[in-house]
Amino acid sequence: MVEQHISSAYDRDLEGIQAQIMKMGGLVEQAILDAAVSLETRDDALSEKVRAGDKTIDKLDEVINEQAARVIALRAPTAIDLRVILSVMKISSNLERIGDLAKNMAKRNTVLLTLQPVNGAASTLRRMAKEVERMLKDALDSYIQRDAELARAVINHDHDVDQMYNAIFREFLTFMMEDPRNITGCMHLHFIAKNVERMGDHVTAIAEQVVFLVEGEMPDDERPKGDTTSLDADLPS
Amino acid sequence: MYDAPHMTESHVTAAADVKIAARNVQVYYGDNHAIKDVNVDIQDKTVTAFIGPSGCGKSTFLRCLNRMNDTIDVARIEGDIRIDGQDIYDKAVDPVQLRAKVGMVFQKPNPFPKSIYDNVAYGPRIHGLARNKAELDEIVERSLRRGAIWDEVKDRLNAPGTGLSGGQQQRLCIARAVATEPEILLMDEPCSALDPIATGQIEELIDELRRNYALVIVTHSMQQAARVSQKTAYFHLGNLVEYGDTTKIFTNPEDTRTENYITGRIG
Repeated sequence: MVEQHISSAYDRDLEGIQAQIMKMGGLVEQAILDAAVSLETRDDALSEKVRAGDKTIDKLDEVINEQAARVIALRAPTAIDLRVILSVMKISSNLERIGDLAKNMAKRNTVLLTLQPVNGAASTLRRMAKEVERMLKDALDSYIQRDAELARAVINHDHDVDQMYNAIFREFLTFMMEDPRNITGCMHLHFIAKNVERMGDHVTAIAEQVVFLVEGEMPDDERPKGDTTSLDADLPS
Repeated sequence: MYDAPHMTESHVTAAADVKIAARNVQVYYGDNHAIKDVNVDIQDKTVTAFIGPSGCGKSTFLRCLNRMNDTIDVARIEGDIRIDGQDIYDKAVDPVQLRAKVGMVFQKPNPFPKSIYDNVAYGPRIHGLARNKAELDEIVERSLRRGAIWDEVKDRLNAPGTGLSGGQQQRLCIARAVATEPEILLMDEPCSALDPIATGQIEELIDELRRNYALVIVTHSMQQAARVSQKTAYFHLGNLVEYGDTTKIFTNPEDTRTENYITGRIG
């Protein structure tokens, strides 16, 4: 059992940084959901909220990095403490990137408002975003509970998000071929789908940090790569 | 309570680089069982750090390696310690000869109340390592250079060693220890009385000496152990709890007791 530090201020420092990570994680989860809902409901005010909210997420990333640097300078952390510091820095930058991707989704939502809706795309994207949000929640839970098994489950789950992205990719190609007027909308929607797929990769990177934190080693990179669209030159039948 | 050490097998490494092999070593001070069944292989041309809380037995074990515990009446040592395969507790081994081969540097610099030159020349003289004055001069210069203090004292070799600064005195003691051409250097908290600059110089010196010697250093500074050593042994209540690569011990130790100690937790 890992005990308290002799220096209680050290414990408070580490707890403080981890509390910031959880706060940041909560904001990023909400940003993903809001971006997806605003796409489906064509709610520009909600999109605006996501865009504005990204500043807070970026600020938290800065604060976490400053606090982590301070702990390194003052405490020279070792073993589990060192891994906590290394992992919070990486988790923070992954959360920050997910926040940027949500912001980018929200920007495209505003453009999409001016275009004819593409049949069924928004609800599929919302399901995909919901899936990523749940993965992120599990990844953050696994972090707080120091649960490497849950983190591994998240890593394996990324495959499903990749599959959803592959399906949407093909769907959009079909829509664009059917009617060239769909091209602008589908291009934006495709970027949104790609953003969500990238979010899944960042969540996976967070889950990998949890495995590193708990076990001291990065997990083996044996999970199947699910995004096959870059290899796919064939048009869908 | 006695727990079996982690990775018992890995305490014992490939025979080729082993300088000191300790097997089932027990040390008693009267009724006090100070070292409990320690097995470890210490590698040549490597810095091994012994860490652990006060009273854990690290200094006691270090002192077994050149039979310094012989000088304590109530101390009783069992088990087997071999240097290059030779049992150092064999009746045929002369402890004075052994200590020429296994040098020691202590916590507090303890130069003899003699000149700088004589401090270094003392060991070579009593062991008859020099045939004439020229050879002795050469040994003194070489040793002071290895102690990284030659440039600072070459113009005042006849000044008393006790007149040097603390950091210089400690480097003089290291020069004195290497003058007898030892193969192993034991250091018991060599930097605890020194400022960060002198500590940095000693650490730099330790890294230099590693080319020629097996070094074992006892230190209370976790950072120092992490900086200077390649292998680390963690002692707790007389047990060798964990022994392994320093990088591994400081990033991902196996034993919770090691982890609690190096991260500054109440173990």
